[in-house]
Amino acid sequence: MTEIVMENLGKDFGDFTALAGMNLTIGDGEFVALLGPSGCGKSTTMNMIAGMLDPSHGEIRFDGRPMNGVPMARRGVGFVFQNYAIFTHMSVRENLAYGLRAQGVGRSEITRRVAEIAELLQLTPMLDRRAAGLSVNILQRLAIGRSAVVEPAIFLLDEPLSNVDAAFRAVMRSELKSLQRQFRQTMVYVTHDQLEAMTMADRIAVMDHGRLLQVGTPLEVYNHPADTFVARFIGAPGMNLLSGQVVSSDSGTQVDLGAAGRSGPVMAAQGGDVLFGFRPEEVQPDPAGPLAMQVSMVERIGARTILHLVTQGHEAKAVLDSETPTPGQGEVFRFSIPAASVRLFDAKTERAL
Amino acid sequence: MTDMTSPMPHARTDAPDAEGREERRLGFWLTLPAQLLVLFIALFPILMQIYISLTDWSPLDGIPWYRAYELWIGLLNYADLAGDPRFWSALWRTGLVMAICVPVQVLLGLGLAILFVDDFRGKRVLYSTILVPMMVVPAVAGYMFFMLFQSGGPINDLLSMISGQRVTIAWLSDPDLALFAVIVSDIWQWTPLMFLILLAGMVSVPQDQQMAAVLLGASWGRRFRTIVLPRMKTIIIIAVAIRVIENFKVFDNFYIMTGGGPGVATETISIYIYKVTQQELIWGYVAAIALAILIVLSVVSMLAIRKMRKA
Amino acid sequence: MQRSLSFEIFRYTAIALFLALSLIPTAWMLSMAFKPIAEWQSSGVDLTWWPNNPTLDNFRFIFGHSSSDLIVALDRTAGRPILASLLSASFGTAIAMTAGTAAAYGLSRFGFGGNLPLALIQLRLFPPMAVMIPVMIMWAFLGLIDTWWGLALIYGIVTLPFAFWLMKTFFDDMPREIEDAALVEGCSRWRVFLRVTLPMMRPALASSALFVFILNWSDYLIALLLTTRDWVTIPVYMASLSSSMTGQLYGAKAALGLIAAVPPVIMGIAIQKQLVRGLTFGALKE
Repeated sequence: MTEIVMENLGKDFGDFTALAGMNLTIGDGEFVALLGPSGCGKSTTMNMIAGMLDPSHGEIRFDGRPMNGVPMARRGVGFVFQNYAIFTHMSVRENLAYGLRAQGVGRSEITRRVAEIAELLQLTPMLDRRAAGLSVNILQRLAIGRSAVVEPAIFLLDEPLSNVDAAFRAVMRSELKSLQRQFRQTMVYVTHDQLEAMTMADRIAVMDHGRLLQVGTPLEVYNHPADTFVARFIGAPGMNLLSGQVVSSDSGTQVDLGAAGRSGPVMAAQGGDVLFGFRPEEVQPDPAGPLAMQVSMVERIGARTILHLVTQGHEAKAVLDSETPTPGQGEVFRFSIPAASVRLFDAKTERAL
Repeated sequence: MTDMTSPMPHARTDAPDAEGREERRLGFWLTLPAQLLVLFIALFPILMQIYISLTDWSPLDGIPWYRAYELWIGLLNYADLAGDPRFWSALWRTGLVMAICVPVQVLLGLGLAILFVDDFRGKRVLYSTILVPMMVVPAVAGYMFFMLFQSGGPINDLLSMISGQRVTIAWLSDPDLALFAVIVSDIWQWTPLMFLILLAGMVSVPQDQQMAAVLLGASWGRRFRTIVLPRMKTIIIIAVAIRVIENFKVFDNFYIMTGGGPGVATETISIYIYKVTQQELIWGYVAAIALAILIVLSVVSMLAIRKMRKA
Repeated sequence: MQRSLSFEIFRYTAIALFLALSLIPTAWMLSMAFKPIAEWQSSGVDLTWWPNNPTLDNFRFIFGHSSSDLIVALDRTAGRPILASLLSASFGTAIAMTAGTAAAYGLSRFGFGGNLPLALIQLRLFPPMAVMIPVMIMWAFLGLIDTWWGLALIYGIVTLPFAFWLMKTFFDDMPREIEDAALVEGCSRWRVFLRVTLPMMRPALASSALFVFILNWSDYLIALLLTTRDWVTIPVYMASLSSSMTGQLYGAKAALGLIAAVPPVIMGIAIQKQLVRGLTFGALKE
């Protein structure tokens, strides 16, 4: 239960900048996901919080205490590794007791706390099994339990679901979320999967190329992406971005999308070249709609249908529910976007307007 | 020779018959030379050895070996062996050398491996330099130590410098000191081997597990005891087994340094067999000794191999 | 993981200490090899640790050039033993590598010779001393005593286990897709082995051969038993240098020892990556 403050935190490996000037405060008991593609600096950030790496510049503070130079063993950080790093030559019980033994906790106390955490994580039946042959979901719970039993103030999870198959991920996500509610620890969760971040985190920090691009609640980053990277990265499929020009006419301010038509009225503070963004889910089929694109492919996925749309220079996707009648491949699809759903980005800086 | 079912790799399910025949023929011819060499050195000699060990044959008698049955004495050689104090003392000495050398080599090797397990400046050069002794021809190593331990040699010179008075210890002619000297040469030569193997094992201990232990607050000692050592158990067993078995073969450096002497002070089992072979020439008896050793070693090695297989 | 400064100091000190002790014997031989006779004959009173007047006399001497200080007639020079060592070790290596590589491939690809791995390990485990009686009888019977080819034959057999096991682990590691592709092209298995597999394995063959060569080159005992005069190898010759009435020819022996020691040390360092694999029969690969 600790507040983590990162101030101008950076890490260089030789000429390569893994992380540049990160400023982020993670509140007490908050669950923050560091989200980004591989190489974005999220793992570097996490390793610096844990103390496995020394920052090149900047500072990390836990509850106001500077952590630079504090060895990792004394930071009170629990770490769940990507492959769990379970001690496979020990039993489940020995794994759980490892941290307590290392910290010199008394024997009866160890027995009690191990039993407690095992009960919480439903590990009691396999306490005396060797860790080597356990299934992935048990290993994951064990990894969490092994870190949790020493009651660290901060919990760091490094892509804990990346080794799990897709079907299981959903189960694990809700399990992790409910565990976090029980432990009430500050949690930092590193992932490249936006769905994991969206479903579990209180706040998401989106990173790319060593830079923090946006921090916000899942809905904030979804609805109000700070730039085109975040817009594309969050959501599946990501936000559509069509280049166009803001024009003013009698019917108000509109965006001219060339061959795709002209959008309905939008609120724009700026003219000139823009990127016209909208979520595929916000597309409204509308025979009289102002926009038209050709259907290049129709993807039917159960309850949803994804239309792949093209028009000279533009590509977009539309997500419709499968009840909606859809045009066939090669046909023209007319649609409209509610003004409130439109996000405009500067064409040059790619920042939200 | 034990037969072992080997995994049949590379089953080409679509292989037509002709191809299967070609593979079988090629497999046969490829393995034939090795099989013949093994037969040539293993089966035939061992049968011959058993035969001769039941006789009192010596190459000096002028009787060809195949007519050794003329000197048939049954199991008398083995009975003699059981009551041969020199054999037992050589065996005991081999065990003693082993009991001192192997633990020292393992501990030194382990200590060095700890120093080398992570990266530091100059690691590659230092690593190569440490390996040098194990690559020196053992006979030459024996000669190096022969020179070092001369009474007018550098070791006494060093001791003189330290003590301030002239030291003239006759290392190689005192029974206890001679044994000490040959043990030092063995440790010198084979500690790098232990280091090499143990380091390879230590490097393979998963880094993230050690990291996890650190984050759980485990001290270096606890990590070493609970993570590193248990995971190196098999490798340590392999390393020890290699040295134990090699110790039965120890000959070159010992023989060059002391010739097994003074008296029999440094006479290990290999030197003993050599001396009986070359100097006393009772080959029927030698064959019996050799067979006894072979049986003991086969049992020891089978146990070690079984352990290795599991790894 | 960061290590503290004090650990770094400890590390370098400990390694330096170990290396200092470990290099003394080699350094001493090096020093002796270049000392003039007056220095290496010292009885300890005026011992020099490093040659005051370094000279190549010792090397000249073992190749038959007596110097003014060292008037000893050698009954033979070092040239022949060096030749014997080279011939027996090289051809022994060739025998071991040929039979070992072929058998390793036969087992690794076609599952032939399933008895070989264990049989060869056992062969390796036996002390040579314990099988030498029959070998000496056989070699005498076949007229192979005191010949370099007789020595090469026994070396080839003794080191066959290493060649076989090293090559087997290399073949097991090698992906089969390339061979399969060549097979689909219509090459015969034999052609694939010669034209595809072996060329690909060249680095593995080279390091295995060097490993086996070091072992053969290092032998003393077998040569001691199977050679008498014409084809004694360097170690046997070296030991015999002292049994003459001249007493210990320290400098000459040190020079010879240096000649014997240098090749395997260089080769060993060149193949240090494969040493673990070779020494543990592939149980450990690094």
